[in-house]
Amino acid sequence: MTGPSSKKSGAGRSRTGPVRDWSGRFGRAALIGIPLAVLVVWTLTPIVWAVLASLKEPLEIYESNALLPANPTLAAYRKVLAMDGFGRWLFNSALVTVVATFVPLTISVLAAYGFARYAFRFRHVLLLLYLVPRIIPRVSLIVPLNSLMSDLGLINTYWVLFITYSASAIPLATWILVGFFASVPKEIEEAATIDGANMWNRLRRVMIPIAWPGVVTAGVLCVREAWNEFAFVLALVNESTMRTLPYQLYVLKDAMGVQDYAVYNAFTVLTILPLLLVYLLLERRVVDSIVSGSVK
Amino acid sequence: MDAPFVALQDLRKSFGTTDVLHGINLEIPQHAFVVLVGPSGCGKSTLLRMIAGLEKIKHGRIVIDGEIVNRVHAKNRGIAMVFQNYALYPHMSVRENLAFSLEMLKTETSEVERRIKTAADILQLEQLLDRLPAQLSGGQRQRVAMGRALVREPKLFLFDEPLSNLDAKLRVEMRAEIRALHQRLESTTIYVTHDQVEAMTMSDIVVVMNAGRIEQSGPPLELYDRPATEFVAAFMGSPAMNLLRGRVVRADGAPAVDVGEGLFLPFDDRAGVREGMEVVYGLRPEHLAISPDPASGLIGEVALVEPAGWETHLHADIHGRRFRAISTERLDVTPGSRIALAPDPTRVHLFDGSSGARL
Ligand SMILES: Nc1ncnc2c1ncn2[C@@H]1O[C@H](COP(=O)(O)OP(=O)(O)OP(=O)(O)O)[C@@H](O)[C@H]1O
Ligand SMILES: [Mg+2]
Repeated sequence: MTGPSSKKSGAGRSRTGPVRDWSGRFGRAALIGIPLAVLVVWTLTPIVWAVLASLKEPLEIYESNALLPANPTLAAYRKVLAMDGFGRWLFNSALVTVVATFVPLTISVLAAYGFARYAFRFRHVLLLLYLVPRIIPRVSLIVPLNSLMSDLGLINTYWVLFITYSASAIPLATWILVGFFASVPKEIEEAATIDGANMWNRLRRVMIPIAWPGVVTAGVLCVREAWNEFAFVLALVNESTMRTLPYQLYVLKDAMGVQDYAVYNAFTVLTILPLLLVYLLLERRVVDSIVSGSVK
Repeated sequence: MDAPFVALQDLRKSFGTTDVLHGINLEIPQHAFVVLVGPSGCGKSTLLRMIAGLEKIKHGRIVIDGEIVNRVHAKNRGIAMVFQNYALYPHMSVRENLAFSLEMLKTETSEVERRIKTAADILQLEQLLDRLPAQLSGGQRQRVAMGRALVREPKLFLFDEPLSNLDAKLRVEMRAEIRALHQRLESTTIYVTHDQVEAMTMSDIVVVMNAGRIEQSGPPLELYDRPATEFVAAFMGSPAMNLLRGRVVRADGAPAVDVGEGLFLPFDDRAGVREGMEVVYGLRPEHLAISPDPASGLIGEVALVEPAGWETHLHADIHGRRFRAISTERLDVTPGSRIALAPDPTRVHLFDGSSGARL
C-alpha cells in the first residue's frame, strides 16, 4: 500500500512535474487521511453525541431533533454529582481498577518473564491454557462463578471483584509481556548475569526497564478492562453500595421514573471521563510501544 | 614451566542429542592472548560461554587461576565478557553501563568513580559518559562494551566475535586497539573469531577448532608454517593453500605426487612417506614461483588476475587443475596468458589421504 504511493511522492521525482507531484501527494494524503477520518468520526460520534445530549434540558431530547442543545446547561451533571451513591460508585470503580491493574501486572510480569526466558516442560501448552479464560464466553462463567462465590461467602464483597477482575486481566497482560520480554536479546541478560545481577536484579534493573513500554501497555489495558467490566459485577454484587459506575449506569435506566436522557448521558460522560484521562496521560507511551512492538 | 593460568580438561557439551564439543583440552599461560578460530558452528561460542559460566559443565573441568570453577557462578569467576552484539543496557547511560557491575558488587562510590575514570581514559569515553547506547556509533558502542569489561578488573577477558558488526576499516582499527589494550593491561584474553586474518594478526596462541574438536594450537606462524592437519592448512592463510589429492610416485628417482591428468608435483623426500601412499599435496601460493619464461616449470594458463597493490594474486590452470599463486612483482599477464609455475619442493606440505594428519 505504501509502496506505490511513497514512490510517487519520493523527493527525487518531485521535480519531474508539478502535476504528478500534486497528485502523488494528494493520493498519499487521501490514502492515509480518509480511512483515518472515517475511524475518528466512527469513534467520536457517540461520545460527542452523549456530551451534547448531556448539556440539554431534561425533556429537550423528546421535543427537538436539533443536535446542539438550545440552552446548554450543566444541570444534568449537578444532578448526577448530587446522587446519593455517586461518590461511592466512583470510589468502587477506582478501587477495583487500581487493584485489578496492579495485581495482574505484578503476577503477569513474573509469569511472562518465566515464559519468555525459561525452557520448561509444557511451556507452550501452558501458555495456550493461559488463554482459556478469555476464550470461554464470559456469560457462561457467570452462573458457576456466582454459585462458587456464594459458597465462599464472597458475594457482595470487594474480594469477589478483585479476584474475578484480576483473573480476567492476567492472561491478557501476560501475553503482551511475554512478547516484550522475549524480544530483549538474551545476551543483555547474560551480560547482567556476569556483571553479578541475580534474577531479581536482572528483572528489576534490566528486563522491566527495557520492556517498560510493554508494561505500560499491559497496564493501560488492565485499567480499561477493569473500569469497563460489567458482567462480573452484575452477577456477583447486588447491594447498591457495592456497584461500580458501569453497573449503576445500567441500573439508572430503570431507576428513573421519567427517562431523563440528559442525566443519563451526563452519567455516561462522567463514567468515560476518567478512562479518557488515563489514555491521554499515557497516550505517547502506549502509541510508542504499540509501534515499536510491531516493528520488532 | 609455570602451571597454566587457564586449563580446559576434557570438556564435552551436548545440546539435547547433538554433541557440540567432543573433549576439549587446552592450557593457556598467564598474560597470553589466545584466539579461538574455526568455521561457523564449530563450537567456539559454546566453549567460551562454558568458560564464562553461561553454560553448565556436565563433563570435564575448567580451571582458572588454580581454582576449579565448574560450580563457581559466572560473576565470581573473575572473568568479563564482550559480546558480538555488545549487549549494552539500552536504557542506561554509558556511565551507568560501566557502573552496573560495580553497583551489583556494592563497590564504594569513590572506587566506582575511579574505575570508571580509568576505563574512560583508556578507551576515550570521557565525552560519551552521559549518552545512551542508541546515541553512539558502532565503534563507540564497541568501546563501551570493552569498558564495561574493563571496570571489573577481570583476571580473564573473553571476547566473542567483538568486531564482526563493524565495517572493514573500523575493524582493523579496533583490532589494533584491542591488541594495544592487551599489551598495556597484560590480562589473559580468550578471543573468538571466525576470521583467520584476525586470528593470525592478533594472537600469541591460535587455537583452530573444527566440528567440536581442537585441530591444532600454537603460535600463529607455527600453525602457518607447519599445519598439523589438512584442515588447518586449508583454514589458515589467505589466499588459501593449494591442496590436491594424489598418490606418491618416483619419477626418475625424485619423489613426486601424481595428482592425475599427467600432472606430477615434486616434493623433498621425507621420513614416513612411501611410494604408493594416498596423500594430499599442499603448497602455499607464495611458494609457487611465477616466471614469464615458459621453459622453467609447469605451464599454466592464467584464469584470473587480482592485483592487490603490493602483491598480485593469480589463479592459473595447470593440466586442468586450478592453482593459486602470489607474486610481489607487477606481472604483465591477462587471463589466457601462458606462464611457468615452479613449486618449491622444500616448502611442500603432505597430509595423509584418509586421516588428514601431517606427514
Ligand atoms: N542453545 C543451543 N541449543 C541447541 N544447539 C545449540 C545451542 N547453542 C549452540 N548450539 C549448536 O551448537 C553448535 C555450535 O554452536 P556455537 O554457537 O558454539 O558455534 P560457533 O563456533 O560460535 O559458530 P559461529 O561462528 O557461527 O558463532 C551449532 O551447531 C549450534 O547449532
Ligand atoms: Mg559464535
